[in-house]
Amino acid sequence: MLTERERERYRRQIMLFGNEGQENLKKAHIFIAGAGGLGSPVAYYLAVAGVGTLTIVDMDTVDPTNLNRQILHTDRDIGKKKTVSAMEKLTSANPDIRINAIDAKIDEDNVAQIIGNADGIVDAMDNYPVRYLLNRVAVAKNIPLFHGAIRGFYGQATTIIPGKTPCLKCIFPKAPPKEVFPVVGATAGVIGTIQATEVLKFLLGSGELLASRILVWDGLAGRAEEIYAERIPCCPACGSCGTETPVGGKK
Amino acid sequence: MAVKLRFFAKFRELLGTDILVPPGEGSTVLSLVRDTARKNPEGYDAIFDEKGNFHEFIIVMRNGKRVEHADAPAARVADGDEIAVFPPVAGG
Repeated sequence: MLTERERERYRRQIMLFGNEGQENLKKAHIFIAGAGGLGSPVAYYLAVAGVGTLTIVDMDTVDPTNLNRQILHTDRDIGKKKTVSAMEKLTSANPDIRINAIDAKIDEDNVAQIIGNADGIVDAMDNYPVRYLLNRVAVAKNIPLFHGAIRGFYGQATTIIPGKTPCLKCIFPKAPPKEVFPVVGATAGVIGTIQATEVLKFLLGSGELLASRILVWDGLAGRAEEIYAERIPCCPACGSCGTETPVGGKK
Repeated sequence: MAVKLRFFAKFRELLGTDILVPPGEGSTVLSLVRDTARKNPEGYDAIFDEKGNFHEFIIVMRNGKRVEHADAPAARVADGDEIAVFPPVAGG
């Protein structure tokens, strides 16, 4: 049940999806991997929308070079753990939700456990090795994965529904090379808010997800386009002839 | 009629996009993209390795279907086809 205070806070979106939709958001638990460029807008918008429980994971400390895009963190947070800074901002943005901020490096040993029974996993990472780990857990536990990635003025987003859409490894079988990537904060804003929108649509059961479609954002050209994606029958992560050991394969 | 080449992101900056190329006799996905990319050495290097194969992380599609890199040298193209060349990005 929503409190009077919640009905007031969310009034303008209850106009869109009713008390029932808002209650669905309140009951939900979303896992956000990364409190950086993408994680910042994702976490802010899911927090203020009233998603009841957010778990956000990051291992880093706020650095001056983060501040052009990572809007969870401010100048006075330099040197703080990102989880501490994120917790402060999100709690003040919406004190009515529960936030778990976990200061950890996501790895093979902890990934399944820290994701737990979340209703959705948001990929706000900056590297493919960890993305592939999130993907394996998403597939093993049948949890949707909301992918986003950015570089410069460019970005991409897609929503992975295990068993229905291609998984991340079907779509991107090989990782792009590692680099210190150039980026402008506004690009993280575009892609992060698309990911947050996907999460809300999924939790509300409304609209059409970016399923089997990669939204490709070209900020320089001012264009959003789509690329279609298909499952790979022998995908090592989600195919029936899988070769990867599933991580935490218990649902 | 021609083949339409769509480049995305950085490839688009370097090479343009929606380029119409009349396919020659025996044109393939690989040969068509390679010939088009040659007009800009930086664009070429962004797409191809030193052996002239697609960098392994690049996504190549023909008419909305993925073309496996190993198949690209033999994948014939015809008038009306659309080839998309997309570099996934990694940042967050």
